[in-house]
Amino acid sequence: METTDFKKTWKTFEIIALIFILLSILLILYFVRELLTPFIIAFVIVFFLNPIVDYMEGEGINRTLAVVTLIILSVFVLLIIWKLIWPTLQGEVNNFKDNAPVYIDRIQVGLNRTIDLLEKNISFIPKGTLEKALQQKINGFTSGMGDVGSLIKIVKALMTALIIIPFVVFFLLKDGRKIKKMLIAYVPNKYFETFLVLFHKIDQQISNYIRGQLIDSFIVGLLAIIGLYLSGVKYSFLIGAVLGIVNIIPFIGPLAGLVFGTLLILIDTGSTVHLIKFIGVFLCIRMLDDIIVSPLALSRSVHVHTLMVIIVIMLGGFLHGILGMLLAVPLYCSIKVTFQILYKGFIEYGNW
Amino acid sequence: MSKKRISNFILQKIRGKEGDIPPVLRTIPIFEGLGFNDLKKIELIVHKRTFMPNEIIFYERQPGAGMYIIKKGLIKLTKTVNEERVKISELKDGEFFGEMSLLDEYPRSAEATAVEKTEALGIFRPDLFDLIESNPKLGYKILLKLSKRLASRLRETTEMKLKEIG
Repeated sequence: METTDFKKTWKTFEIIALIFILLSILLILYFVRELLTPFIIAFVIVFFLNPIVDYMEGEGINRTLAVVTLIILSVFVLLIIWKLIWPTLQGEVNNFKDNAPVYIDRIQVGLNRTIDLLEKNISFIPKGTLEKALQQKINGFTSGMGDVGSLIKIVKALMTALIIIPFVVFFLLKDGRKIKKMLIAYVPNKYFETFLVLFHKIDQQISNYIRGQLIDSFIVGLLAIIGLYLSGVKYSFLIGAVLGIVNIIPFIGPLAGLVFGTLLILIDTGSTVHLIKFIGVFLCIRMLDDIIVSPLALSRSVHVHTLMVIIVIMLGGFLHGILGMLLAVPLYCSIKVTFQILYKGFIEYGNW
Repeated sequence: MSKKRISNFILQKIRGKEGDIPPVLRTIPIFEGLGFNDLKKIELIVHKRTFMPNEIIFYERQPGAGMYIIKKGLIKLTKTVNEERVKISELKDGEFFGEMSLLDEYPRSAEATAVEKTEALGIFRPDLFDLIESNPKLGYKILLKLSKRLASRLRETTEMKLKEIG
């Protein structure tokens, strides 16, 4: 009887210790989150390229050779896309930059008009308070644009990322399986099978989701550029590229893209025709995406309730910005799968 | 140095050393007749595990994840019959068990316990499915061998049942 009691206490202690270790790891990761960005980007690239390397290896090509070939090929393809799109995109960005002061003036005039209206109608706001606060915000924004310090910071971060990312991508693609095997070798025999299955399911969840989202975003971006260009909307490349990039984040991304496009068109020309054209193209793409592209690209991902997706994305954004938003859904799915498997092991089989 | 030794040396440099896992794999019916390169691919998904005396490898009714090959040691398989543990068999070096779990998650039919310190090689379903997906030719060979083994087991069971009736 005493031995059973001891065993039960020991088991509870084991579970508490495991939860404590996991929480500590999460806490450490949270504190070093600034350093994590290049690694997360590298992981995203690895999840995307890994199936291609596996396929090449299956066809009899040596894995190292397959990885090197694929990395060179990817850089080459990116350069071609860059060469094709960049001149037009650069033209649009330069145009936008040249017109920025005019746009800011227009926004200011618009906002001032709104503030006047607010102050006239709401009696308890003292005259001038809102205008003062707005002026300070705008000054802060315009002076922040040319800040040399922040520019150096960005360049430094970019250089570190450019060195770290290719190295991590190369080694993870080449030795990813060995690293995984090495890590899992430390799991005690008792939990080994459960962990192996869990590890595999999590890996599948994350890689399927990231691959699906990247393919989906690429197609949406391409369709948006073509659609906007053909309908003669100004800044078609810029808006299309933004729509593609933000599409990586479900629900909130497309909404942000719509707001961006609408604002840009309104402050640029204010033309209702252009705005209607843009919204028309946007709605067509959303329908195509929801009915055809997204179900195909994300067919192997788990179904998560829309409300949950929005909550976890907002939480991800709060913890780690845009990358946090991208990884929020697959991480949520992984946690869900973990609980499902542990619960099954604990309740149905009682071996934990 | 003879020409053959030189060519062998070069071949070994290109392919890498055989190591201690492929010779064990070669003796298992499922991997019988596979070439060096195929065995090397399987070696990548093999997990070396060591079990202490009386350590449980898997429990009865636990969802199965894969098979184990005994490299060195002794394993006993037991089953609960009428709330009592009954020994079904003992397995030693070179023998294997749990291969049906390579196909599905069906609960284990028996409990496996190490009798003495045992070194085992584990091959698990998720890894095997990945290997099959990325290497369809190799996957076809493994699945064919696995199906043959299943067919022969089914035949044995049918014959046993027929004998019982007749």
